[in-house]
Amino acid sequence: MIKMTGVQKYFGDFHALTDIDLEIPRGQVVVVLGPSGSGKSTLCRTINRLETIEEGTIEIDGKVLPEEGKGLANLRADVGMVFQSFNLFPHLTIKDNVTLAPIKVRKMKKSEAEKLAMSLLERVGIANQADKYPAQLSGGQQQRVAIARALAMNPKIMLFDEPTSALDPEMVNEVLDVMASLAKEGMTMVCVTHEMGFARKAADRVLFMADGLIVEDTEPDSFFTNPKSDRAKDFLGKILAH
Amino acid sequence: MLSGNGQLDANKWTPFINSQTWTTYILPGLWGTLKSAVFSVILALVMGTALGLGRISEIRILRWFCAVIIETFRAIPVLILMIFAYQMFAQYNIVPSSQLAFAAVVFGLTMYNGSVIAEILRSGIASLPKGQKEAAIALGMSSRQTTWSILLPQAVAAMLPALISQMVIALKDSALGYQIGYIEVVRSGIQSASVNRNYLAALFVVALIMIVLNFSLTALASRIERQLRAGRARKNIVAKVPEQPDQGLETKDNVNVDWQDPDYKDLKTPGVQ
Repeated sequence: MIKMTGVQKYFGDFHALTDIDLEIPRGQVVVVLGPSGSGKSTLCRTINRLETIEEGTIEIDGKVLPEEGKGLANLRADVGMVFQSFNLFPHLTIKDNVTLAPIKVRKMKKSEAEKLAMSLLERVGIANQADKYPAQLSGGQQQRVAIARALAMNPKIMLFDEPTSALDPEMVNEVLDVMASLAKEGMTMVCVTHEMGFARKAADRVLFMADGLIVEDTEPDSFFTNPKSDRAKDFLGKILAH
Repeated sequence: MLSGNGQLDANKWTPFINSQTWTTYILPGLWGTLKSAVFSVILALVMGTALGLGRISEIRILRWFCAVIIETFRAIPVLILMIFAYQMFAQYNIVPSSQLAFAAVVFGLTMYNGSVIAEILRSGIASLPKGQKEAAIALGMSSRQTTWSILLPQAVAAMLPALISQMVIALKDSALGYQIGYIEVVRSGIQSASVNRNYLAALFVVALIMIVLNFSLTALASRIERQLRAGRARKNIVAKVPEQPDQGLETKDNVNVDWQDPDYKDLKTPGVQ
């Protein structure tokens, strides 16, 4: 589903991604872990070209990611993305946030898009807030709307870029529950997160990154119980100590 | 000296209770001021939007072209623009001679204010959180759809106070038409004064009219700004704004507000994450 070959990414002199070779089959749930600055978010954002890459290729569903224009937009429409800071459109109601892209990009009829939006909002548990504006919702609710907004495009892949990092602790679970149910339904997912519980429960595969490299690529169980590299041991020691 | 000339005498004010002073001089002048201001504000908004969007376009040559126009007309004094346009229109017979001064005033105001509005718009779009554009393009929206559905509505809302102040400036600058013989409120005021020999009183009345006009525009601007801060009531600018004393600080939880809630506190930037 996603194939990255020889990907290199620089921010000026800083080598953000080094020699990334990665293949993610359909339906796999991949959790990307690592210390901050290790390139996790950058990896996630290169998959729909929110970050450009200097070398290498990225293929989605067998097609090389176009550099710009209509081809890139079409491909992005098939890849849902959820951001750390929600990025809902504050001038639109919850319902309009969800229907906007299906109407504008998929040319869906308004009534049809609204029906779809309501069923998705129902699914993430906020159908009763459909006519409110994003600023009137809690962070957890906003993030669930953001997930519904991405799902409205019927994506092949969902990218999650630290979806719970900006949330108050008591709101983290309501978002993780939605993500876990998506994972169960067989969505191909790439999640950058610090939620180890989610990684253990929902992931099929864990990528551990450090300094722009994928250091470990393994099953969640073997990663948490038997990490091979020193970097991973050190990382797990720090976060699991409490 | 003023009293020596009798300018402070009470009878210098009496022409203003005579309706003829108003119908012959002040009101036509006021009409001229409003007409040129309204025309140029509308044209400036159109031009400013086009130039502002052109300046952030993905097409390099268009970006460059718009930047040159904006910087040129922003740098030239409005009066020079008006005099230049007047001469040019007269020389090449572009507009009928009866409309020469009007066209020149509108041209000058449009070019100057349009360029300023373009800059206001550009900085408004630039000040939006980067995530807004990212979220839109990640949904597969084209850059034109992103601009028109996501960026522009938010930038205009944020920049509305600045846009209205620019309209106040356009209204005031229409008085520069005085210099090229355009009948606006200052010229008509002075004409009435030269008939009635009451310059001080006439200019005082003109100033008063300008203050009332601009004050109401400014009041409208701050009204709209408050509506925007209070939430999304801007569709109805006469709706009641929940009035709360300014808290003076932002809380982490300022994304979680319901402005219709009676306990709602008006924070400075709701919705900003």
